[in-house]
Amino acid sequence: MSEPSSFLLMVYKRALLLYPPRLRRKYQQQMLQTLLDAHREERPGSRRFWLKIYTDLLQSAFYERIFMLREQVLKQPIFFHALCLGLILTFLGGTTAVAFQRMLRRGANQPQIEMAKFYASEIGSGEEPDDIIPPGYVDPERSLEPFVIFYDDQGRPEKATGYLDQSAPVPPLGVFEYSRSHGSDAFTWQPRPQVRIATVVQRVTGPHPGFLLAGRSLRNVEEDETILYRMTFLGWLVLALLLVSGAVLLGRTERMKQVSC
Amino acid sequence: MAKVQLQSGPETHLPLTATVLSILLALAGGEKHGYAIMKEALLAGGGGISMGPGTLYGSLDRMLGIGLVEETGVTDNERRRYYRITSFGNKVLAAEVLRLNRALSTAHRRGLIEGTHA
Repeated sequence: MSEPSSFLLMVYKRALLLYPPRLRRKYQQQMLQTLLDAHREERPGSRRFWLKIYTDLLQSAFYERIFMLREQVLKQPIFFHALCLGLILTFLGGTTAVAFQRMLRRGANQPQIEMAKFYASEIGSGEEPDDIIPPGYVDPERSLEPFVIFYDDQGRPEKATGYLDQSAPVPPLGVFEYSRSHGSDAFTWQPRPQVRIATVVQRVTGPHPGFLLAGRSLRNVEEDETILYRMTFLGWLVLALLLVSGAVLLGRTERMKQVSC
Repeated sequence: MAKVQLQSGPETHLPLTATVLSILLALAGGEKHGYAIMKEALLAGGGGISMGPGTLYGSLDRMLGIGLVEETGVTDNERRRYYRITSFGNKVLAAEVLRLNRALSTAHRRGLIEGTHA
């Protein structure tokens, strides 16, 4: 007969705290006795024995916690209702945040849509790009002003008011192909890290075929989006805390009433 | 003491987990305390299930809750309590064994077990 290591036994006793309180109170002594019974038939100092015991403790404590949570949530109406309410609020909050984000992003395409249509229409009716597009220099990395770039039918820039490093940026060729077949395109373009542009491309037909790109930095809109996400998360967190604390308080009150009855 | 919630029929508890089946099998042979259950469950005929005290008492707690087992009230040591299978537990065990037997018969018929033919 061997006595278990007092250190390992002490750690085991302490680790029983991992179990839900009700289970621990009810079975703690029996678990310790079963452990001692099992240890008597093991080789003294068997590492395999303790490895098995501790693995079982961690696994079963985890499962018991899950069981306890499930019981609380499903069998106590208050927790179940709080969970349902939390899910509904999360869904509504998430949907509202996404709707606001889409509104912000769509708003960022103005006035580029009008600009692209106007210049494309003027060039399509025979105006020269050099005549119709006013001179200007907008660096979307630093400026929030809208800009336009006219590309020829092969996608080479001809006239521009928007520049990155002194040259007119060129979007991927697929953008031109899409605009050629669909007439226009609107998308977020990131010509370089940290530079994101709300971009509208309009196909130009007529005597001077090509593509008219109108863009504007998304910096302000993305800052607004960040604020929106933070506020949504904060609101959700506050509501979740209120729901959890309310459910816990009501649950305790109900239990106390049952006990006093 | 855990509230006993008897369900409508034994079949509603099927299939049993390997741990619950081995505990019921062990207790079908007579009342036992925790370590005796663990030892018998480890035998090949008991299911060959290796479990520690945490798994054992977590399972026993749920089995007490649905009325599959009960405490005998007899102890040879305050910390060593004995458990026995209830008549409802016997019915559930019988239903599970029947279910497994049907599956075993199918396996035999399909030649999945050595020495048998389709």
